[in-house]
Amino acid sequence: MHTRLNQPELLANWRRDLQRRTFLRGAGLGLGSVALNLLLGGSASTGAAPTLGDGVLSELHYPPKAKRIIHLCMAGGPSQLESFDYKPKLKELDGQPFPASFTAGQQLAQLQNTPLKAFGPQYEFRKWGTSGQEISELFPEIGGIADDICIIRSLYTEQINHDPAHAFMNSGSIIKGRPSMGSWLLYGLGCETESLPGFVVMTSNSKCGGAQPISSRQWSAGFLPSRFQGVQFQSRGAAVHYIGNPEGVCQSAQRQLIDEINQLNRLAASRYQDPELETRISQYELAARMQTSIPELTDFSSETQETLDLYGVKQPGDGSFASNCLLARRLAQRGVRMIQLYHRSWDHHGNLKNDMGIASKDVDRASAALVQDLKRLGMLDDTIVIWGGEFGRTPMGQGNGRDHHILSMCAWIAGGGFRGGLTYGTTDELGYRAAENPVSVHDLHATLLRQFGIDHKRLTYRYQGRDFRLTDVSGEIIDAVLA
Amino acid sequence: MTGMILRSSLASLMLMLCCIQLSAQAADDPRYNRDIRPLLAENCFACHGPDAKQRQADLRLDNRDSAIAGGALDPADWSASELLARIESDDPDLVMPPPDTQKQLSGTDKQTLRRWVVAGAAYEQHWAYVVPTRPEVPQLAGQAPLHPIDAFINRALARQALTPAAPADAETLLRRICLDLTGLPPTPEQLAAWRSDHSAAAYEKLVDQLIASPHFGERMAPAWLDVVRYADTVGYHGDQNQNVFPYRDWVIDAFNRNLPFDQFTLKQVAGDLLPNPTAEDLTASCFNRLNMVTREGGAQPKEYLAKYSADRVRTVAGAWLGSTLGCAECHDHKYDPFSTRDFYRMAAFFGDLKQWGVYQDYGYTPNPDLRGWSNDHPFPPEILVDVPYLQQRSARLAQQRDELAIAAAQRLLQSDDSKAAAAQWLAMLSQFLQQHPTGWSPLKPTTATAENSKPDEATKSDATAGFTVAADGQVSLTAEKLDSFTFTLPKTDFPIQSLRLELLPHVAGADSIHPDPSARMNLSLAWERQAADGKKSPLRIHFADAPAKQPTYFNNAEHLGIGNTWRVPGRVAAGISAVWVLDQPLELQPGEQLVITLKGTAARQLRWSASPLVPLDARTALDFGLALGQPVNRETLETAPGTARQLALAVSPSDRGALRQLEAAIRDCRDGKAWVQVSQPSDKPLTTRVLPRGDWTNETGEVVVPGIPEFLSVVVAANDTNPRGPNSDEPQLLTRLDLARWLIAPENPLTARVQVNRLWEHFFGTGLSAVLDDFGIQGQYPTHPELLDWLAVEFRESGWDTKHLVKLIVTSAAYQRGSLPSPEALQRDPKNLWLSHQNARRLEAEIVRDNALALSGLLVPDLGGPPIFPYQPTGYYSQLQFPDRDYPEQKDDRRYRRSVYMHWQRTFLHPLLANFDAPPREECTGIRNEANTPLQALTLLNDPGFLEAATGLAVLALGEPGDDRQRLERLFERTLLRKPEPAELDSLATFLTSQRGHFKTASEDAAKLPRKIPSLDPSRYDMAELAAWTSIGRALLNLHETITRY
Repeated sequence: MHTRLNQPELLANWRRDLQRRTFLRGAGLGLGSVALNLLLGGSASTGAAPTLGDGVLSELHYPPKAKRIIHLCMAGGPSQLESFDYKPKLKELDGQPFPASFTAGQQLAQLQNTPLKAFGPQYEFRKWGTSGQEISELFPEIGGIADDICIIRSLYTEQINHDPAHAFMNSGSIIKGRPSMGSWLLYGLGCETESLPGFVVMTSNSKCGGAQPISSRQWSAGFLPSRFQGVQFQSRGAAVHYIGNPEGVCQSAQRQLIDEINQLNRLAASRYQDPELETRISQYELAARMQTSIPELTDFSSETQETLDLYGVKQPGDGSFASNCLLARRLAQRGVRMIQLYHRSWDHHGNLKNDMGIASKDVDRASAALVQDLKRLGMLDDTIVIWGGEFGRTPMGQGNGRDHHILSMCAWIAGGGFRGGLTYGTTDELGYRAAENPVSVHDLHATLLRQFGIDHKRLTYRYQGRDFRLTDVSGEIIDAVLA
Repeated sequence: MTGMILRSSLASLMLMLCCIQLSAQAADDPRYNRDIRPLLAENCFACHGPDAKQRQADLRLDNRDSAIAGGALDPADWSASELLARIESDDPDLVMPPPDTQKQLSGTDKQTLRRWVVAGAAYEQHWAYVVPTRPEVPQLAGQAPLHPIDAFINRALARQALTPAAPADAETLLRRICLDLTGLPPTPEQLAAWRSDHSAAAYEKLVDQLIASPHFGERMAPAWLDVVRYADTVGYHGDQNQNVFPYRDWVIDAFNRNLPFDQFTLKQVAGDLLPNPTAEDLTASCFNRLNMVTREGGAQPKEYLAKYSADRVRTVAGAWLGSTLGCAECHDHKYDPFSTRDFYRMAAFFGDLKQWGVYQDYGYTPNPDLRGWSNDHPFPPEILVDVPYLQQRSARLAQQRDELAIAAAQRLLQSDDSKAAAAQWLAMLSQFLQQHPTGWSPLKPTTATAENSKPDEATKSDATAGFTVAADGQVSLTAEKLDSFTFTLPKTDFPIQSLRLELLPHVAGADSIHPDPSARMNLSLAWERQAADGKKSPLRIHFADAPAKQPTYFNNAEHLGIGNTWRVPGRVAAGISAVWVLDQPLELQPGEQLVITLKGTAARQLRWSASPLVPLDARTALDFGLALGQPVNRETLETAPGTARQLALAVSPSDRGALRQLEAAIRDCRDGKAWVQVSQPSDKPLTTRVLPRGDWTNETGEVVVPGIPEFLSVVVAANDTNPRGPNSDEPQLLTRLDLARWLIAPENPLTARVQVNRLWEHFFGTGLSAVLDDFGIQGQYPTHPELLDWLAVEFRESGWDTKHLVKLIVTSAAYQRGSLPSPEALQRDPKNLWLSHQNARRLEAEIVRDNALALSGLLVPDLGGPPIFPYQPTGYYSQLQFPDRDYPEQKDDRRYRRSVYMHWQRTFLHPLLANFDAPPREECTGIRNEANTPLQALTLLNDPGFLEAATGLAVLALGEPGDDRQRLERLFERTLLRKPEPAELDSLATFLTSQRGHFKTASEDAAKLPRKIPSLDPSRYDMAELAAWTSIGRALLNLHETITRY
């Protein structure tokens, strides 16, 4: 037994498994591989395929509305002022000194030690749909789904640089080693696929300036067991590291090899009574299934031209945001719990008008298409799509761009029981600070978990003597954004 | 009579029963540390504990006096205590813990609390905060004394009525001890020696041998590197490389030479503050530089200084105190008696370090100290240190170069294809050296034109710029304001391999090349061959270097050589020169000329020279590896490597390529030295304030001075190393040296326990206190508290002797037991808390790979040195920027080095390491997970490194005599150190036959599967056979047993 049983989650498994084992013995079954399999939370019938891991929650805290989430992460921090927060006053003030009453004592990034001037919105806004939501002309396709999305204008964060801000948005903490939301979901709920990872990440780049590095810690399981970590799919080439058979090994030779490994592991199982051996066997089966299912997953030939056009996919698998969105839908259909798409193109310190035009073209159509596609497939009801960056941008100009900003930012959410057609919260007249109904990152997390049926205060993990959770020590559910 | 006896026996029997019951009773009495504190901590302390800000009803339950004063406990009538009334209440408004906390006491919990309160509510100080004293080693009457560890363990087993498992079988034990002490499997030689030595002392002898092996340090280091969060990159934003590997080597070496743990501590925390710190002390002080840092534009220096400071507190507390002091950054600790003030007082110890919040100079956050810094620059302060690995590697490569040169020369002189050219070269060189004994022939320019590189100047160009050439080739330029010159140089009567530019004193006898000694020059050069018709074609430079230059960097590595741009340092003694080695020897044809353009020079006196030779090192122009002045002839060519090298470079392109490869590798050894980040006291120490709620923008908090946590404080006198000096009027502040001394003070209750527990975990898979990284109240009460204390005292009193402690642990019977649980143990002690048997453990990430390399014969066991870059999936770093970079995969022998040396990229840890649960080391990590995932399977199945190892096993198998079954048996035994069962052998044999059949028909696959490894000469093998055996190798390397130590 070398699973470390010092964690309460594992201890709970132990207790549960011991009960099951007692039951099996009572039913006249020996303590053979069936029980050993059970010791690892596998399924009761030895022939059944084991899953990536069951969730730790035996029952949900609320009736669930969502089963999966697709996070369209606009990495770099898109400007809310050219997208979803319309500020005519700021336009009037364009080029004039920014009122110090707004900015006194506030954190700045690259605008430190420089005179602050208002920088008016660079694009016009329009009202869209029957709900009349105000969205910039840069996002006409998202405008087309205005009645399906809930825009949050009063989101704010605490971290002003990319790296910690991503960490905060993903894990609710800037201290490294904390699990990301996808990992928490897997830990709590498990996943519904037996041949794919339950938490998948993809990235895409833009031709415009404004790309910033991201770190794999954004999808890390942190102190949770690593089976809950996000798996990065490469946007081009082999989707997953080590997924392809080595050169000189055909599918049948690989299958024979895996059979042989499992056969020898089975023979060793009787020797060592090591439950990890049973798990190992099931992990090789899972690996084999991944090896065969991922090529099928990434083969877009079953998608119609109409669908490709809907997303604006020019070349399936070309690593574009559009291609990733379509792949995200395919992953969602296959039971993946969380899919995160990073589009690295939004850090517009300068040349904002031009670069924002390019970046919005990269994502507008595909983001909207994803929502429409899920809707027509009947999946939008239980799939959350969330669109947003790691922070917002200043209403003050930085030359012809905008600096990082933490006191106001936007996101929109569709599906999964969120109220479409709603604009929630406001910022002050210059868009500097969330004014009405401010939403913290912890609030956002609490609300998202709520839709999965999880009370954010009750999904915890004991680490270094403390029960940690995604929302740290705060987080309120924002009922008003829920249908 | 009979009745009497019966009665008395009965009486004594009754008495015995009574005693048993009594002792059972005594053992069952609730004890505060073991039974009560965990209940109170879990359910009550959040509101009634140490955190003053969260405290409700002004009641603390974490100490007895407060609990009595607060009315929760009633000494007059314990059973009437309010605490009991509250926990037993049915009234939702009264019951504790309140229902909305979602916490609930079970019936048993309530009973335990009741029994404890009624018995007088005896508190104990938290076990980990009491200085350990050495307990009596248990001794059973009439029995020989046991190994002290076994005395404690066996007593506990007896109390639990558990039977210890039998000792592991000899081979299992051998594999276990080798993997645990060196991280490498036993070699066949070790196995044979082990099998032949049946003496009682054999095991101890083996242990001594393994502990003395240099691989001991490589095995022990990673756990420490995890807690100090050692990594090769800075972690934030661009995640650039940092120069820290000499620190990693120091840790390995410290284990190898058994540096006492107190010294180990002092040098890391305060090596720079020791009297006359040595290079070693400073290297160790790199510990304080291992926190993540940033150079992102727009980062606020103060914010990041606060992050660095908190990171250091968390790490010191985690590494030495096993404490989560980091929780007190924003509020008093909720469970442990650490206050926010304690947190910032600890942080203040590190305020003296020379550091910057943002390691770059931006307009919006000016940083004059780092003016001109880019994303590629180092992270100062650093020192240059010797690296034995690089020195040895350099010497080894030089030896290879010499051998290659001699072999090449002998071949070139004998082969019909080349001997004429060789003879011709020899004649040319003899003649050349007679004329030019220094090896350089001055080139006298025939023309020189000048212009200004800044075209707005009035004198844009001056084709008539004056110049004179002296007999020794010295060129004097007279164009005063111009800085760019183009020279034409005549054809030479020898093939040019190297060109040299000397910058000479501006006037005879001066020590500088320019009247203004601080003048900076960035010279850029272009080399062209000009045909008779004036047409020019550029000449390619192979390598160029100069003894003095301004360094330039890529991702923190200094560029080797100068290329076509020579940044001459500000103050240069005259006579400095640079050498350019041409890509191909240059033989100008009649009518052709060499044209050199030199831009950006302030020098007016210079000399060009050319040579048919190539200096050994372009920085030392006069050393060609020849005994200059000695005759050059056939004999010296065949025996003197320096001369042989020149011949091979001159006449044989293939040898030239091979030699250049080796010479580039020698250069890459960087003279056997490397930079390492160190601690240095700053002349502007930071003022540390308590930050309310951890908010760095809030400057209202109290200013604090360095201090250790109040409740643990012992008198630590500020000592004479205080930088303010003993006579300063200012109050003496504690320094990092005081902190380090306190960490290892005998009065410190934590350090020895924490380290001993960590070592125990290394050998048993779990600590005596299972939560290695939290010795606080929420941690775990030790299963064997006396043993832990005994070991802690033993460790301290032995002079913090790590090897002694390790030997003590591995020579216990408990360590040597089999790892198979008995049905009884499975039933009654499923977690093996009482250690009736050993724990099986999956190998750590590093060892998974090292084991495969060693088994397959590929392992290159060199110690130390710069990070290695074995195979990694392509494109993995594509999300990294500032700078953009590719993974510099190594194709030479370095890819077979041990994994402790693998490049540790914090934001994108190598997938093999990450998949096997190695931490990214962004944060102090005390426990590694042991997951079992499909990604692990995919790694072992498909990572090219494991395919190479499988090929290595195939080559070994086919090198053995015997038939399939005999070979299979031996390969199996090599891998797992046991003979296969008949069923296992049958299965493998069937698999081999089937793979053989497959690869016979799939011959293209058969040619591809076996990987190109050094031990493989494909011409010697039937590829189908080799491929089939490679499949066997893959199967064996993928077995669960292979990656598990039983």
